[in-house]
Amino acid sequence: MENLSLFFNFGLPLIVLMVAYFIGSAIEKKHFANIREREDQLHGFPVVSFDTMPDDWNASSSDMVTGSIVISLDYFKRVIAGLRGLIGGRIKTYEPLLERARREALLRMTESARTQGYDAIFNVRLETSRLANATRDGKGTAGVEMLAFGTAVKLKGRSG
Amino acid sequence: MKFIAKKPREGINVSDEHPLVEAGTLVLGLTAIFIAIALLLVFIIEIALYFVPAETEAELFSDWIPEDLVTVSPNDEQLYQTQLLVDRLVDHWADAPYNFRVEIDDSDVANAMALPGGLIIVTQGLLDQVESENELAFVLGHELGHFRNRDHLRALGRGIVMGLFFAVITGNDVAGLGIKATDITLRGFGRKQESRADEFGLAIVHSEYGHIYQASRLFERWSATNHGASAFVAYLSTHPQPGDRVANLRAIAIRDGWQTDGEVLPLKWDKN
Repeated sequence: MENLSLFFNFGLPLIVLMVAYFIGSAIEKKHFANIREREDQLHGFPVVSFDTMPDDWNASSSDMVTGSIVISLDYFKRVIAGLRGLIGGRIKTYEPLLERARREALLRMTESARTQGYDAIFNVRLETSRLANATRDGKGTAGVEMLAFGTAVKLKGRSG
Repeated sequence: MKFIAKKPREGINVSDEHPLVEAGTLVLGLTAIFIAIALLLVFIIEIALYFVPAETEAELFSDWIPEDLVTVSPNDEQLYQTQLLVDRLVDHWADAPYNFRVEIDDSDVANAMALPGGLIIVTQGLLDQVESENELAFVLGHELGHFRNRDHLRALGRGIVMGLFFAVITGNDVAGLGIKATDITLRGFGRKQESRADEFGLAIVHSEYGHIYQASRLFERWSATNHGASAFVAYLSTHPQPGDRVANLRAIAIRDGWQTDGEVLPLKWDKN
């Protein structure tokens, strides 16, 4: 009886937590490896945050390019962040999540520019928004969207 | 200005601490803090109990009854007989500060409770399961023991403590683990109170009947049918396991040299 109650009180949540952790961190690891690989492929493609086009760029055409990702937390991250919320401090479990989102969004934007034949992107901006959860009166977080956008240009003879 | 392509730098926005290390630190640390706060509050409750004499409490709660309690009719025969039995048992407790009132909770789950102001609640489920007056007398004596040790106020105080925790952490399903750990710690103290109440209950039964024969038979029956019977699961959660309890009571009887044989009185009402 006592053991059963101990199991339901501590064992079960702990098992769920551990399963969430192992699956979540395997996915995260794989995603980071994928991000690094694609970043290597795009290495050398100019992506800058200047709000005006650099003087030495001679653009023949331009367009806005966007890349966005919607990413969700796993149960483990949520639990640890919840505990962190009681005493404050860096929510270390969320940091890699948002790092992934930022880099993925930038990658998607850059990949989109490249497939459309553009040579560079300037005025790059990042925006985040929280997706409200339907449960708990919208107070929960279903996930975050990270949006990267910028002005892609075709250069006539890149002097850069 | 020349554009030099650089790879993104790693490790700036991401902590290199292993997530499990952070998780472990947080869970253990917060649990320790919860338990420490709970123990501190328990200590404060003890101080408060010292300053609120039983007479004041009896006066404050003289008419009080829990709002969500569904009671049987005041003309109920079982209620009348149970009240009479309590009154007889209280005669063996010199200068009891309470004017004990009995109410029957119309619930199938076998349980009995001691509440502030000398209110004893027994459930219909318990009355259906007792088979002799001696069995019922021991259950009632046990509750009287809680009053004497003022456990009912402790329980109330602890209820408030746990309520406070829940209020602080509402919406945070996570901290539930810490709360459960605190709850189980407090329950450990509860067990000691239960055996002290048992001791008092047994003494009062001995004074009333001159023996303790069959006082704990209810628990022996429960112990024999242990596991599976859900009717007393709730009773278990607030009271010790019947098997341990019977052994404990036997030890007390031997220690105090109490008469373990005697006449068993039937219940004063018709059993259906």
